[in-house]
Amino acid sequence: MGALAFPAVFTLPFPRHVMIMIFLYGALATAWNIIAGYCGQIALGQAVFFGIGAYTSSLLYTRVGLTPWAGMIGGVILAVLVSQVVGYPVFRLRGHYFAIATIAVGEIVQALIINWDAIGGGRGVFLPIKRPDSFLNFQFHTSKAYYYYIALGLLLLALGITRWIEGSRRGYYFRAIREDQDAAAALGVNVAREKLRALAISAGLTAMGGSFWAQYLLFIDPESVFPLSLSILICLVAVLGGVGTLWGPLLGAAVLVPLQEGTRVMLGGTGKAIDLLIYGALIIVISVAQPGGLMGLFGVSRGAGSAR
Amino acid sequence: MHRFATSLLAVFLVFAIVAAAPSGAVAQSKEIVIGVLYPMTGPTAQAGVDNKPVIEIGTDIANGVTDLPFPFYQKLKGMPGLKGAKIRLVFADHQGKPELGQAEAERLITQEKVHAIVGCWHSGVTATASQVAERHGIPFLNPESSSPGLHRRGLKWFFRTSPHDEHFTQAMFDFFRDFEKKRGVKIKTAGLTYDGTLFGADSGKIMKELAKKSGVDVTLDLQYKLQSTSLQSEVQRLKAANPDVWMPTSYQTDAILFVRTAKELDYNAKMVMAQDAGHISPDFVQAVGRDAEGTMSRAPFNTDLIDKRPVAKALNALYTKKHGKELYDFPARSFTGYMTLLDAINRAGSTDPEQIRQALVATNIPGDQLIMTWDGIKFDENGQNTHVKAIIIQLQGGKFYTVWPWDSATRDVIYPIPAWKDRK
Repeated sequence: MGALAFPAVFTLPFPRHVMIMIFLYGALATAWNIIAGYCGQIALGQAVFFGIGAYTSSLLYTRVGLTPWAGMIGGVILAVLVSQVVGYPVFRLRGHYFAIATIAVGEIVQALIINWDAIGGGRGVFLPIKRPDSFLNFQFHTSKAYYYYIALGLLLLALGITRWIEGSRRGYYFRAIREDQDAAAALGVNVAREKLRALAISAGLTAMGGSFWAQYLLFIDPESVFPLSLSILICLVAVLGGVGTLWGPLLGAAVLVPLQEGTRVMLGGTGKAIDLLIYGALIIVISVAQPGGLMGLFGVSRGAGSAR
Repeated sequence: MHRFATSLLAVFLVFAIVAAAPSGAVAQSKEIVIGVLYPMTGPTAQAGVDNKPVIEIGTDIANGVTDLPFPFYQKLKGMPGLKGAKIRLVFADHQGKPELGQAEAERLITQEKVHAIVGCWHSGVTATASQVAERHGIPFLNPESSSPGLHRRGLKWFFRTSPHDEHFTQAMFDFFRDFEKKRGVKIKTAGLTYDGTLFGADSGKIMKELAKKSGVDVTLDLQYKLQSTSLQSEVQRLKAANPDVWMPTSYQTDAILFVRTAKELDYNAKMVMAQDAGHISPDFVQAVGRDAEGTMSRAPFNTDLIDKRPVAKALNALYTKKHGKELYDFPARSFTGYMTLLDAINRAGSTDPEQIRQALVATNIPGDQLIMTWDGIKFDENGQNTHVKAIIIQLQGGKFYTVWPWDSATRDVIYPIPAWKDRK
């Protein structure tokens, strides 16, 4: 309930911005958690789906005039399709090879977009910034509170889907694959199909985050929405919070985002990179003290809840 | 789960309180607060780190601490328009990321209460940060981003003092025109080589457009693969076409390989006009500086101008003393943009954003007062400085010298480039 009242208490844009980033990264990490935490497939190419979401809604908005909300759904559909096409061959690989392949896919897609002149190439897409505030335009210049609630909605959707998976038959399939793929197959789990489903859900949610990002920043380019660093950051957030738990990714975001923003605001202007040093050191401290993720502090371990 | 939720809420609240507290002192009426948004960390931090001291020097000049004895800067001494108001800088770091540029611009405006923003070097960050300034109605001065699209967004609060990529390429064709007048050599044909990156493709596109306009015939239009292991066939095609000028756009490794292959295959270009990047990088000069004798490139600024321009020389002395480095392109452009802003605030006689904006629109700074070789600073209706001018530099004896515009030149143009067999 505190989260709902936050914008009423904090009226300045910056604290709201930080909360929006917590929700967004929380949602992205929760989406990653479905494929990596529950299904055990360490995918490091989430930026592909994020970028697809961002580009699809932006291009449909600027070229066709379609409301970004419809564009967001278009982005989800496209991301799911791409996830299936890419996932099919890549899921034949296991462990490290799978992780490396997903990185390669991410790099290839970024290179493609940079060289694709028809959609702006490396120059990116400038969204019109002077449209009136409206829900349909997905632009709210007078108050950040709207973005806040949309991001919160996105997070709740990601958490809701995860919660539903945890309790469903599908969730058991996913965890079975994570624990031992061959044993799962021997028990009749269609491993290839289940992995693709986990990736599809994860990709769709990530694409929604991308569309939100594009509308929030109103400028996208391949460097900012398709970078490997984003895929890694999503992974870092989830791992820090606790992989394979419902609340872990959100906790990771709630710790990491303020840490990053706070150190930068306080020390970033010095130009001596002290903020990044402190940020890095704190991540190391947390990982050493709580290797299972911050969720360990609450006595929750991986796959808790209805998992075991 | 209850314990967890409570802790999470506590984390939110503690952070929110910290974030909401303004870090600076409460703005007084006698203070001009300027937000400076540059990459201070990350892969391109050098730009921010080298620009920071020059912005501080500019501030010292306006605050009457330092002296730059030229009329334009003397006029700003002590900011007489605001009866001696002091300037306070708030530096912020965007790490080269558009989302951080947006967040920091927002924070500078709403929490630090800055009266204007200067930044951001990266075109992508300038795009998002200037958008925030536009919404809040705060003047945004961009001294250096070169993406041509930035001033075409219909913004009212955006001002760019620097040339953009189209100006830079235009300078090459202006040079050809002037060169014909001076030396009687007409450049009729051009051979273009460029890599497949955004920079290369864009450069090729603009060159073709401008060549058409200037009546230069593009006889070879060759896009090659970035970081090729061999450029033999490319150089052979250049040799066969033998254009009046070879216009390469390459990053460093390809630029070096082009020169080595040209030597190997005895391709003697009469004139080489490069699009910056690889052909002017220090490593290129070090690796093939002698072999690439006569290579020309466009540039915004070159170090040899410092001795030629008294203003630049005086500023360089201050800069070297403070930062232990010679003034170069980035700080030179940053300083120029920043002083343009201070001049506008001084003329506005107020920190009211609308009055500063109107003063910026009315900006008219003569070229002889600038570090840069421009004709001056005057903005068009889009906030783009129309009095910009790029320079052309040429590699002579392993060092780059300014050769155009003629009044800024420190050396004469070497033409034609001596053939390989005539070199020692």
